[in-house]
Amino acid sequence: MTDDEHETTADPTGDEPAVSDGGTASDGGSIVDDDFPADGVPDTPHGDDHGLPPTHSIRRWFVTTNHKDIGLLYTVTALFFLIFGGLLALLMRLELWAPGADFLAAGSYNQAVSAHGLIMVFWFLSPLAFGFANYVVPLQIGAKDLAFPRLNALSYWLYLFSGILMGISFFQGSTFNGGWTMYAPLNMPVYTPDIGGTTTVLALILFVASATVGSVNFLTTMHRMRAEGMTLRRMPIFTWSILLTVWMMLFAFAALLAALMLLSSDRLIGTAYFAESSPGGAMLWAHLFWFFGHPEVYIVFFPALGAMAEIFQTFTGRRLVGRKWFIGAMLLVAIQSFVVWMHHMFLTSINLEIKTLFMATTIGISLPFDLMVFSLIYTMLKGKIRFKTPFLFGFGALVLFILGGITGVFLGAVVLDYTLRGTYWVVAHFHYVMVGGVTGLVGGLYYWFPKMTGRMYDETLGKVHFGMYFVGFNLLYFPMFLAWETPRRVFEYAPALTGWHQLSTVGAFLLGSSFLVMFYNLFKSAFVGEQVEGQPWDFASTAEWTVPSPPPLENFPGVPTYASGRLEFEDGGSAQTDGGAVHGKAAALPGSEVTETEHGGGESHASIWPFVLGAGAFLVLLGLSGLQRGYFPEGTMGGVHIGTAIVGGVLAFGSLVAMTREKFHGPEGPFGESWPFTTVENTKLGLWIFLASDVILFGAFIGAYVFSRVAHGWTDWHHLIPEAHVVLPGLINTYLLLTSSFAVVIAMEFAKRENRLGVVGSLVATVGLGVGFLINKGIEWQHLFHIHTEAFPAGWDPGTNIASTTFYVTTGLHALHVIVGLVIAGYMIFRAWGGAYMGDDEPIEYFGLYWHFVDIVWLFLFPLFYIV
Amino acid sequence: MHGGLLLQVAGQLEPDGNRAELFGTIFEVFLVLGTAVGVVVIGYMLYNAYRYRDDGTAPAEETEDIGRPTLGELPEGGGHGRKLLLSFTLSAIIVISLILWTYWALLYVEAGAAQPAEPEMEDGTTVDVTGYQFGWQFEYPNGNTTDGTMYVPEGERVRIVVTSSDVMHNFGIPAFKTKTDAIPGQTTSTWFGPVEDGEYTIKCYELCGAGHSYMTGTVEVIDAEEYERMFVEPMNSTNASDGGTERVDPATAAGGSSAPSVGLPADGGVATRLPARTAATEGVLRA
Repeated sequence: MTDDEHETTADPTGDEPAVSDGGTASDGGSIVDDDFPADGVPDTPHGDDHGLPPTHSIRRWFVTTNHKDIGLLYTVTALFFLIFGGLLALLMRLELWAPGADFLAAGSYNQAVSAHGLIMVFWFLSPLAFGFANYVVPLQIGAKDLAFPRLNALSYWLYLFSGILMGISFFQGSTFNGGWTMYAPLNMPVYTPDIGGTTTVLALILFVASATVGSVNFLTTMHRMRAEGMTLRRMPIFTWSILLTVWMMLFAFAALLAALMLLSSDRLIGTAYFAESSPGGAMLWAHLFWFFGHPEVYIVFFPALGAMAEIFQTFTGRRLVGRKWFIGAMLLVAIQSFVVWMHHMFLTSINLEIKTLFMATTIGISLPFDLMVFSLIYTMLKGKIRFKTPFLFGFGALVLFILGGITGVFLGAVVLDYTLRGTYWVVAHFHYVMVGGVTGLVGGLYYWFPKMTGRMYDETLGKVHFGMYFVGFNLLYFPMFLAWETPRRVFEYAPALTGWHQLSTVGAFLLGSSFLVMFYNLFKSAFVGEQVEGQPWDFASTAEWTVPSPPPLENFPGVPTYASGRLEFEDGGSAQTDGGAVHGKAAALPGSEVTETEHGGGESHASIWPFVLGAGAFLVLLGLSGLQRGYFPEGTMGGVHIGTAIVGGVLAFGSLVAMTREKFHGPEGPFGESWPFTTVENTKLGLWIFLASDVILFGAFIGAYVFSRVAHGWTDWHHLIPEAHVVLPGLINTYLLLTSSFAVVIAMEFAKRENRLGVVGSLVATVGLGVGFLINKGIEWQHLFHIHTEAFPAGWDPGTNIASTTFYVTTGLHALHVIVGLVIAGYMIFRAWGGAYMGDDEPIEYFGLYWHFVDIVWLFLFPLFYIV
Repeated sequence: MHGGLLLQVAGQLEPDGNRAELFGTIFEVFLVLGTAVGVVVIGYMLYNAYRYRDDGTAPAEETEDIGRPTLGELPEGGGHGRKLLLSFTLSAIIVISLILWTYWALLYVEAGAAQPAEPEMEDGTTVDVTGYQFGWQFEYPNGNTTDGTMYVPEGERVRIVVTSSDVMHNFGIPAFKTKTDAIPGQTTSTWFGPVEDGEYTIKCYELCGAGHSYMTGTVEVIDAEEYERMFVEPMNSTNASDGGTERVDPATAAGGSSAPSVGLPADGGVATRLPARTAATEGVLRA
């Protein structure tokens, strides 16, 4: 191939012949075995470290912030949601045994359809992948933990609580029953009036919060904290797939967050974004949803692809063919995934030119997958293929994905899509792709199970699982292609198709019961399975296999480095050690051993506050779910809702304060490879990444405004706005905000000069100006709410028309940002008064970044909502 | 071999066929090619998986310098790059040419859906369709309306302009392979035909609420002259109708057996608008 690849293949054999030989010998496994210490009770030596209770203590799982623990929590929780979503699917399949509603009521069937989709896509697929990502990625890149361990725990708790909220929605009349795509205006309370529908939307918001926190954390970690020599290009393929996944998540989930916030504003306050009276409301939702929804397909599929690639390399004993092309293909898909969304809308009113464009981008995005498939296939050539359970699942996943891909080409031809849309062809196709992805992840589960538990699963039961799974899968989904004329999401279908649907139902139960075998196998093996060393698989090459199973709390016996072209552990660095068992450069893996005395630089691993914050956020949203058209229900129920929200708010705020007061040491640099962010500190990079997603959020809000206005008629829009809506309040607020930004800059300067009163004074000025901004806005809004004109006899409130909706909600989101900034600034004044920040202006700088961003957003909103 | 088939197929696809035939032909070609590609690729996978299985003995090639991955190495790629790019190019050519080949069919379908430049240039007829929870209302050129049953002239093309009075629906007639979204506040258009005498089922293809599964209707193909008389020529003021407001019992309409009778010229040329339906629960079926 290219020069680069030649060069790299030459490296390892030249440098480390001894280890190479060990790997290529046919009984390489046993050589490795000898080198590893038996680590039967891996948790005890570190049980008391850094306030982290031992693994058998329940308390540990509430306070842990360690990436491996969080990974386990994610994995187990995701499997629970697999059961949840799977049972809903079985209910649907029972209903479909014969045409007609003979098992579930019509409304219940729609609930099952919608919740099945939402739970599988959001609460099962991605979180399972993130279980592995949490566990494996820091090990693969040579990091001790994620950049922000408490935020990682927070991601998990927000995820768990969002799932619980989703479960609760079933008991609030009805969960959301308008399909997982939640098309407008069926998603409006007029059509789906149950509180449970609102709760589902809020649960999704909480999930997106979790995903966003997680994305920021992973991106900071992967860009900043790689071991020396682990350049971006050299990252293992699973890590690459996760890197691209989280980049997509960062932007796609921001768009979804915008859509969900607009929707909950409609459902809670009674605004009119998606009401049938809003011109373009239905299309606005479709655009926003699919702008998120198509990248989401790759967000759930990429980790599976990465896991498959790792499994193929290990079990064929070959390196991935065309690795560079493979990564390039993934990168291309990740970028292109944001420009194909309208292919979900070929039957809407978009015109032929746009259809043609999106047909082209759709073909474009399918081609890189061809390359990846061939790459995996050719990796088998000249291999020593061992058909262990992980490989069977990885291989099976590739077969299923190929079938899913071929049937997807049908949908890429627009003229066929016209007919196939909304039918079981689509259902069958995306299940082959998505559940094909699940197949790959199940392979990953078996692959990393020994690493996570230190014990081997039962191979025979694993093969039985695969057999049942693969037969069940095809029995379930293939007949759907044959019965493709059935419309989606109906239980009434042509009697001639009954046979296919019954076959499908049989397959569903076979597939479902295959998981019973898996749960039995894994549960039993986790306790009594054969103990394994660090590397149970021949030819596994990535770093997670160089450490004991499960790895110790601080992961590595020294500072990992690839400077020589191979992984070695260096003494020293920032690691605080007493030298006991730390190996120098000469001591190559995998024999390195970790002793109790190593504390890996004294990172903290325990905090209860992420859990409390998650619980608080959960209660706030549970309380808010009762809100409709701006009012809580009358009587006790309303009181319960308000009370719940208040308790949650207090908990959430309290835990945030506690988190900032807590002494907690995350991993600190310098790290080996941080290109291109060598000089950007972790917190700052995290903040930048978060603001990037916030840009998309505001972009989507502004986009919704522009889209609605164009749909209504750009100039005609003025008729929707009262005369009383004038420029002046906005202009005053522009000056207020700009000035407050300068005040922050001055505060930074005072901090550098260690002038306490100066810092306090300028921060007080910032807060004062910010409060002035809010008061001015409040007066303006009050005035507009209560105008009485001929055109607006009942005032101009958020629900009056689409213009008032976009005005209040968009500037309201900005006002929320201002309030958050003021709370932070208030806290900083308190700290500055106590003498903080003297000579350390970084916290003020970070606050300033946020505050300037909020300021800049206003510079866009002001002309859009006051002038144009 | 495939080349011959493609030529033959292209011959069949003169742009005057109806949409069902068009779909059938393209679908078949995709099916044949897709199956062929699937069999070849998966067959090749299985063959190699078997050929390179680890049977405990070191294969002959092992004596060559085959780099196996080793623990702790920096990841890198294996060989076979040329082969990879070759197969990729081949697959890209197949996919792109297949889709491009269908593109002119798309143009043909789109042309039929477009608003004719001059009304008199239109061959066939245009029916306005409004979806609601949970049924369909039809408005014809002379302003007559029917509900639940759509009447179309035999042997003519029918252009349909579709919208919704509440949530999103999707209007589809599976037998004619025609389908389009019903979006509140907007219209979409498509077409079908010419069709033969008979009754056909209309289905909703977008989840629209509790009655979605039963949201069916009937297409009844009637004699072209009769259609002209009832639905195209301006109406006399006294042509009362029982059809304009009649709700079809969806459960029976699903069976396709009892649609309202044909003789229902509607009320005085003025379209009867459906009352706006406010709640999702309205009209949920007895079933």
